[in-house]
Amino acid sequence: MKKIFSNQFFLLMSRIIVAIVFIYAGAEKISDPKGFSQAIYNYRLFPIETINLLAITLPWLELVSGILLLFGISVKENATIIGTLLFVFIIAVAISMIRGLDIDCGCFGKGTPVGWRKLGENTLLLILCLALLAFDSTKFSLNGKNYD
Amino acid sequence: MNKKNLSAIILVSFFVGFVFNFLNPNGISLIREERVLEFADDDTSTMRNENEDSSAELSDTTFNNLSVSSPNYSENQPETLNPQAPEFKKPLAIKIDKAYQLYKQGVKFIDARMPDEFIEGHIKGAINIPFDGDESYRDILRNINKDEILVTYCSGTECDLSILLGDELFERGYKKVYIFFGGWNDWLEKGYPVSKGEQ
Repeated sequence: MKKIFSNQFFLLMSRIIVAIVFIYAGAEKISDPKGFSQAIYNYRLFPIETINLLAITLPWLELVSGILLLFGISVKENATIIGTLLFVFIIAVAISMIRGLDIDCGCFGKGTPVGWRKLGENTLLLILCLALLAFDSTKFSLNGKNYD
Repeated sequence: MNKKNLSAIILVSFFVGFVFNFLNPNGISLIREERVLEFADDDTSTMRNENEDSSAELSDTTFNNLSVSSPNYSENQPETLNPQAPEFKKPLAIKIDKAYQLYKQGVKFIDARMPDEFIEGHIKGAINIPFDGDESYRDILRNINKDEILVTYCSGTECDLSILLGDELFERGYKKVYIFFGGWNDWLEKGYPVSKGEQ
Protein backbone atom coordinates (compact mmCIF):
# COMPACT_ATOMS: atom_id res chain seq x y z
CA MET A 1 0.00 0.00 0.00
CA LYS A 2 2.83 2.36 0.90
CA LYS A 3 4.36 1.67 -2.51
CA ILE A 4 1.21 2.92 -4.25
CA PHE A 5 0.82 6.00 -2.08
CA SER A 6 4.47 6.98 -2.47
CA ASN A 7 4.46 6.48 -6.25
CA GLN A 8 5.19 9.84 -7.88
CA PHE A 9 2.62 9.35 -10.65
CA PHE A 10 -0.05 8.56 -8.09
CA LEU A 11 0.96 11.65 -6.14
CA LEU A 12 0.92 13.79 -9.28
CA MET A 13 -2.57 12.56 -10.15
CA SER A 14 -3.71 13.16 -6.57
CA ARG A 15 -2.33 16.66 -6.70
CA ILE A 16 -4.13 17.44 -9.95
CA ILE A 17 -7.45 15.96 -8.80
CA VAL A 18 -7.47 17.72 -5.42
CA ALA A 19 -6.29 20.97 -6.99
CA ILE A 20 -8.94 21.02 -9.73
CA VAL A 21 -11.72 20.19 -7.28
CA PHE A 22 -10.68 22.99 -4.94
CA ILE A 23 -10.06 25.56 -7.68
CA TYR A 24 -13.55 24.87 -9.04
CA ALA A 25 -15.16 24.85 -5.59
CA GLY A 26 -13.40 28.07 -4.56
CA ALA A 27 -14.26 29.90 -7.78
CA GLU A 28 -17.90 28.81 -7.59
CA LYS A 29 -18.22 30.13 -4.03
CA ILE A 30 -16.43 33.38 -4.85
CA SER A 31 -18.96 34.01 -7.62
CA ASP A 32 -21.87 33.74 -5.16
CA PRO A 33 -20.82 34.92 -1.68
CA LYS A 34 -24.41 35.40 -0.56
CA GLY A 35 -25.29 31.83 -1.51
CA PHE A 36 -22.24 30.45 0.28
CA SER A 37 -23.04 32.49 3.38
CA GLN A 38 -26.52 30.95 3.34
CA ALA A 39 -25.04 27.47 2.87
CA ILE A 40 -22.80 27.90 5.94
CA TYR A 41 -25.73 29.28 7.91
CA ASN A 42 -27.83 26.24 7.00
CA TYR A 43 -25.41 23.93 8.83
CA ARG A 44 -26.29 25.71 12.08
CA LEU A 45 -22.87 24.98 13.48
CA PHE A 46 -21.29 28.42 13.62
CA PRO A 47 -22.21 31.61 15.46
CA ILE A 48 -24.01 34.03 13.15
CA GLU A 49 -21.23 36.62 13.61
CA THR A 50 -18.65 34.31 12.03
CA ILE A 51 -20.66 33.13 9.03
CA ASN A 52 -19.90 35.95 6.61
CA LEU A 53 -16.25 36.04 7.65
CA LEU A 54 -16.01 32.36 6.70
CA ALA A 55 -17.94 32.99 3.48
CA ILE A 56 -15.51 35.74 2.51
CA THR A 57 -12.24 33.99 3.35
CA LEU A 58 -12.73 30.23 2.89
CA PRO A 59 -13.31 30.28 -0.90
CA TRP A 60 -10.09 32.21 -1.45
CA LEU A 61 -8.18 29.80 0.78
CA GLU A 62 -9.55 26.97 -1.36
CA LEU A 63 -8.72 28.72 -4.62
CA VAL A 64 -5.20 29.84 -3.65
CA SER A 65 -4.29 26.46 -2.14
CA GLY A 66 -5.73 24.70 -5.17
CA ILE A 67 -3.71 26.78 -7.63
CA LEU A 68 -0.47 26.40 -5.64
CA LEU A 69 -1.07 22.67 -5.33
CA LEU A 70 -1.66 22.34 -9.06
CA PHE A 71 1.71 23.90 -9.80
CA GLY A 72 3.40 21.87 -7.09
CA ILE A 73 4.27 24.88 -4.96
CA SER A 74 4.49 24.17 -1.21
CA VAL A 75 2.68 20.87 -1.72
CA LYS A 76 2.81 19.76 1.90
CA GLU A 77 1.58 23.10 3.22
CA ASN A 78 -1.31 23.24 0.76
CA ALA A 79 -2.17 19.59 1.34
CA THR A 80 -2.34 20.44 5.05
CA ILE A 81 -4.68 23.38 4.45
CA ILE A 82 -6.95 21.46 2.09
CA GLY A 83 -6.83 18.35 4.27
CA THR A 84 -7.89 20.39 7.30
CA LEU A 85 -10.73 21.96 5.34
CA LEU A 86 -11.84 18.51 4.16
CA PHE A 87 -11.74 17.20 7.71
CA VAL A 88 -13.96 20.07 8.87
CA PHE A 89 -16.32 19.49 5.91
CA ILE A 90 -16.58 15.78 6.72
CA ILE A 91 -17.47 16.54 10.35
CA ALA A 92 -20.00 19.20 9.28
CA VAL A 93 -21.68 16.91 6.75
CA ALA A 94 -21.75 14.01 9.24
CA ILE A 95 -23.30 16.19 11.98
CA SER A 96 -25.93 17.44 9.52
CA MET A 97 -26.77 13.87 8.52
CA ILE A 98 -27.06 12.78 12.15
CA ARG A 99 -29.30 15.76 12.85
CA GLY A 100 -31.39 14.87 9.82
CA LEU A 101 -30.92 18.25 8.15
CA ASP A 102 -32.08 18.30 4.56
CA ILE A 103 -29.72 21.00 3.34
CA ASP A 104 -27.52 21.86 0.42
CA CYS A 105 -23.86 21.13 1.21
CA GLY A 106 -22.65 24.40 -0.34
CA CYS A 107 -19.69 22.56 -1.85
CA PHE A 108 -20.01 23.57 -5.50
CA GLY A 109 -22.63 26.26 -5.51
CA LYS A 110 -26.21 25.10 -5.10
CA GLY A 111 -27.68 21.70 -5.85
CA THR A 112 -25.47 19.24 -3.95
CA PRO A 113 -27.27 17.87 -0.91
CA VAL A 114 -25.41 16.56 2.13
CA GLY A 115 -25.37 12.78 2.25
CA TRP A 116 -23.27 9.64 2.09
CA ARG A 117 -22.01 10.47 -1.38
CA LYS A 118 -20.61 13.80 -0.25
CA LEU A 119 -19.09 12.13 2.79
CA GLY A 120 -17.41 9.52 0.54
CA GLU A 121 -16.06 12.11 -1.90
CA ASN A 122 -14.58 14.19 0.89
CA THR A 123 -13.02 11.15 2.57
CA LEU A 124 -11.41 10.11 -0.72
CA LEU A 125 -9.98 13.59 -1.24
CA LEU A 126 -8.74 13.62 2.36
CA ILE A 127 -6.87 10.34 1.75
CA LEU A 128 -5.20 11.88 -1.33
CA CYS A 129 -4.21 14.92 0.77
CA LEU A 130 -2.73 12.71 3.48
CA ALA A 131 -0.69 10.89 0.83
CA LEU A 132 0.60 14.23 -0.49
CA LEU A 133 1.41 15.35 3.04
CA ALA A 134 3.26 12.13 3.82
CA PHE A 135 5.21 11.69 0.58
CA ASP A 136 5.17 15.11 -1.14
CA SER A 137 4.86 15.42 -4.92
CA THR A 138 7.80 16.82 -6.83
CA LYS A 139 6.88 15.80 -10.36
CA PHE A 140 6.13 18.74 -12.68
CA SER A 141 6.55 20.96 -9.70
CA LEU A 142 7.54 24.61 -9.95
CA ASN A 143 9.54 24.43 -6.75
CA GLY A 144 10.27 20.71 -6.62
CA LYS A 145 13.56 18.99 -7.22
CA ASN A 146 12.34 16.90 -10.13
CA TYR A 147 11.15 18.68 -13.28
CA ASP A 148 10.79 15.63 -15.58
CA MET B 1 6.59 21.35 6.30
CA ASN B 2 7.35 25.05 6.45
CA LYS B 3 5.07 26.74 8.97
CA LYS B 4 6.04 30.16 7.65
CA ASN B 5 4.78 29.24 4.17
CA LEU B 6 1.64 27.77 5.67
CA SER B 7 0.84 30.97 7.57
CA ALA B 8 1.69 33.10 4.53
CA ILE B 9 -0.72 31.17 2.28
CA ILE B 10 -3.53 31.49 4.83
CA LEU B 11 -2.93 35.19 5.49
CA VAL B 12 -2.59 36.11 1.81
CA SER B 13 -5.80 34.18 0.98
CA PHE B 14 -7.70 35.93 3.76
CA PHE B 15 -6.35 39.32 2.71
CA VAL B 16 -7.31 38.77 -0.94
CA GLY B 17 -10.72 37.57 0.21
CA PHE B 18 -11.42 40.72 2.21
CA VAL B 19 -10.12 43.04 -0.53
CA PHE B 20 -12.11 41.23 -3.22
CA ASN B 21 -15.26 41.32 -1.11
CA PHE B 22 -14.79 45.03 -0.49
CA LEU B 23 -14.43 45.75 -4.21
CA ASN B 24 -17.06 43.25 -5.35
CA PRO B 25 -20.47 44.88 -6.09
CA ASN B 26 -22.07 41.62 -4.90
CA GLY B 27 -19.93 41.56 -1.78
CA ILE B 28 -21.46 40.77 1.61
CA SER B 29 -21.27 42.53 4.96
CA LEU B 30 -18.61 41.28 7.38
CA ILE B 31 -21.24 40.32 9.93
CA ARG B 32 -24.31 38.45 8.75
CA GLU B 33 -27.54 40.15 9.63
CA GLU B 34 -30.07 38.23 11.63
CA ARG B 35 -33.09 37.08 9.63
CA VAL B 36 -36.11 38.43 11.47
CA LEU B 37 -39.07 36.15 10.96
CA GLU B 38 -42.35 37.91 11.46
CA PHE B 39 -45.59 36.14 12.14
CA ALA B 40 -48.89 37.22 10.67
CA ASP B 41 -51.28 39.05 13.00
CA ASP B 42 -53.40 36.25 14.37
CA ASP B 43 -50.43 33.89 14.68
CA THR B 44 -48.49 36.21 16.93
CA SER B 45 -50.46 35.37 20.03
CA THR B 46 -50.23 31.67 19.30
CA MET B 47 -46.51 31.98 18.85
CA ARG B 48 -46.09 33.93 22.05
CA ASN B 49 -48.01 31.34 24.03
CA GLU B 50 -46.03 28.50 22.58
CA ASN B 51 -42.78 30.30 23.23
CA GLU B 52 -43.56 30.35 26.90
CA ASP B 53 -44.12 26.63 26.93
CA SER B 54 -41.47 25.41 24.61
CA SER B 55 -38.78 28.02 24.26
CA ALA B 56 -36.10 25.37 24.79
CA GLU B 57 -37.48 23.27 22.00
CA LEU B 58 -37.73 26.19 19.62
CA SER B 59 -34.23 27.35 20.37
CA ASP B 60 -32.82 24.24 18.73
CA THR B 61 -34.83 24.41 15.56
CA THR B 62 -34.39 26.05 12.24
CA PHE B 63 -35.43 29.27 13.79
CA ASN B 64 -32.65 29.29 16.36
CA ASN B 65 -30.98 32.22 14.68
CA LEU B 66 -34.17 33.98 13.89
CA SER B 67 -36.01 36.33 16.09
CA VAL B 68 -39.72 36.67 16.23
CA SER B 69 -41.21 40.11 16.21
CA SER B 70 -44.61 41.61 15.93
CA PRO B 71 -46.15 41.94 12.50
CA ASN B 72 -45.03 44.78 10.30
CA TYR B 73 -48.36 45.93 9.01
CA SER B 74 -50.92 47.73 11.02
CA GLU B 75 -54.23 46.80 9.45
CA ASN B 76 -56.73 45.47 11.93
CA GLN B 77 -58.75 43.43 9.52
CA PRO B 78 -57.63 39.91 8.64
CA GLU B 79 -56.13 41.08 5.36
CA THR B 80 -54.60 37.69 4.67
CA LEU B 81 -58.00 36.41 3.68
CA ASN B 82 -58.58 39.23 1.33
CA PRO B 83 -57.05 38.97 -2.15
CA GLN B 84 -56.91 42.74 -2.23
CA ALA B 85 -54.73 42.68 0.88
CA PRO B 86 -51.92 45.20 1.10
CA GLU B 87 -48.47 44.02 0.15
CA PHE B 88 -46.20 42.81 2.92
CA LYS B 89 -42.89 44.39 3.76
CA LYS B 90 -41.43 40.90 3.86
CA PRO B 91 -42.76 37.32 3.81
CA LEU B 92 -44.81 36.54 6.90
CA ALA B 93 -44.79 33.30 8.83
CA ILE B 94 -48.00 31.43 9.61
CA LYS B 95 -48.84 28.28 11.50
CA ILE B 96 -51.05 25.32 10.70
CA ASP B 97 -54.45 26.85 11.53
CA LYS B 98 -53.92 29.89 9.38
CA ALA B 99 -52.39 27.78 6.63
CA TYR B 100 -55.47 25.58 6.51
CA GLN B 101 -57.71 28.62 6.53
CA LEU B 102 -55.88 29.94 3.46
CA TYR B 103 -55.90 26.50 1.85
CA LYS B 104 -59.67 26.32 2.12
CA GLN B 105 -59.87 29.61 0.28
CA GLY B 106 -57.90 28.20 -2.64
CA VAL B 107 -54.62 29.96 -1.97
CA LYS B 108 -51.70 28.47 -3.91
CA PHE B 109 -49.28 26.38 -1.86
CA ILE B 110 -45.70 25.96 -3.02
CA ASP B 111 -43.65 22.99 -1.85
CA ALA B 112 -39.98 23.96 -1.54
CA ARG B 113 -38.74 20.41 -0.90
CA MET B 114 -36.89 18.21 -3.40
CA PRO B 115 -38.95 16.55 -6.20
CA ASP B 116 -38.64 13.02 -4.74
CA GLU B 117 -40.11 14.17 -1.43
CA PHE B 118 -42.85 16.03 -3.28
CA ILE B 119 -43.77 12.91 -5.26
CA GLU B 120 -43.82 10.86 -2.06
CA GLY B 121 -46.53 13.11 -0.68
CA HIS B 122 -47.53 16.77 -0.61
CA ILE B 123 -50.34 19.13 0.27
CA LYS B 124 -53.13 18.49 -2.23
CA GLY B 125 -53.00 20.98 -5.07
CA ALA B 126 -49.54 22.30 -4.15
CA ILE B 127 -46.94 22.92 -6.81
CA ASN B 128 -43.28 22.01 -6.46
CA ILE B 129 -40.55 24.62 -6.72
CA PRO B 130 -37.58 22.92 -5.05
CA PHE B 131 -35.07 25.36 -3.62
CA ASP B 132 -32.01 23.58 -4.96
CA GLY B 133 -30.56 26.06 -7.41
CA ASP B 134 -32.29 24.48 -10.41
CA GLU B 135 -33.65 27.47 -12.27
CA SER B 136 -35.86 25.42 -14.61
CA TYR B 137 -38.53 25.12 -11.94
CA ARG B 138 -38.78 28.88 -11.80
CA ASP B 139 -40.58 28.76 -15.18
CA ILE B 140 -43.70 27.75 -13.27
CA LEU B 141 -43.75 31.25 -11.85
CA ARG B 142 -44.63 32.70 -15.26
CA ASN B 143 -48.16 31.41 -14.78
CA ILE B 144 -48.54 32.94 -11.35
CA ASN B 145 -49.81 36.45 -10.99
CA LYS B 146 -47.62 38.67 -8.83
CA ASP B 147 -50.68 39.81 -6.86
CA GLU B 148 -51.56 36.27 -5.88
CA ILE B 149 -51.25 35.14 -2.27
CA LEU B 150 -48.71 32.33 -1.99
CA VAL B 151 -47.78 29.98 0.83
CA THR B 152 -44.41 28.25 0.85
CA TYR B 153 -43.68 25.21 2.96
CA CYS B 154 -41.09 22.49 3.48
CA SER B 155 -40.89 19.44 5.72
CA GLY B 156 -41.43 21.08 9.10
CA THR B 157 -39.78 23.30 11.66
CA GLU B 158 -36.36 21.74 11.06
CA CYS B 159 -36.07 23.00 7.49
CA ASP B 160 -35.66 26.45 6.06
CA LEU B 161 -36.23 25.87 2.35
CA SER B 162 -39.64 27.51 2.71
CA ILE B 163 -38.03 30.64 4.17
CA LEU B 164 -35.41 30.77 1.43
CA LEU B 165 -38.00 30.25 -1.30
CA GLY B 166 -40.34 32.76 0.35
CA ASP B 167 -37.57 35.35 0.37
CA GLU B 168 -36.68 34.60 -3.24
CA LEU B 169 -40.30 34.90 -4.38
CA PHE B 170 -40.58 38.16 -2.50
CA GLU B 171 -37.49 39.50 -4.24
CA ARG B 172 -39.00 38.44 -7.57
CA GLY B 173 -42.00 40.65 -6.96
CA TYR B 174 -44.47 38.37 -5.19
CA LYS B 175 -45.41 40.64 -2.33
CA LYS B 176 -47.99 38.45 -0.60
CA VAL B 177 -45.93 35.47 0.43
CA TYR B 178 -46.56 33.44 3.57
CA ILE B 179 -44.12 30.96 5.03
CA PHE B 180 -45.91 28.02 6.56
CA PHE B 181 -43.99 27.27 9.77
CA GLY B 182 -44.59 23.61 10.57
CA GLY B 183 -45.02 22.63 6.94
CA TRP B 184 -45.61 19.12 5.71
CA ASN B 185 -45.22 17.43 9.13
CA ASP B 186 -47.89 19.57 10.80
CA TRP B 187 -50.19 19.19 7.79
CA LEU B 188 -49.85 15.43 7.83
CA GLU B 189 -50.38 15.28 11.58
CA LYS B 190 -53.65 17.18 11.26
CA GLY B 191 -54.87 14.82 8.54
CA TYR B 192 -55.54 17.59 6.04
CA PRO B 193 -55.83 16.79 2.30
CA VAL B 194 -52.71 15.36 0.71
CA SER B 195 -51.85 13.73 -2.58
CA LYS B 196 -49.01 11.70 -4.09
CA GLY B 197 -47.23 11.81 -7.42
CA GLU B 198 -46.26 14.76 -9.55
CA GLN B 199 -49.65 16.45 -9.35
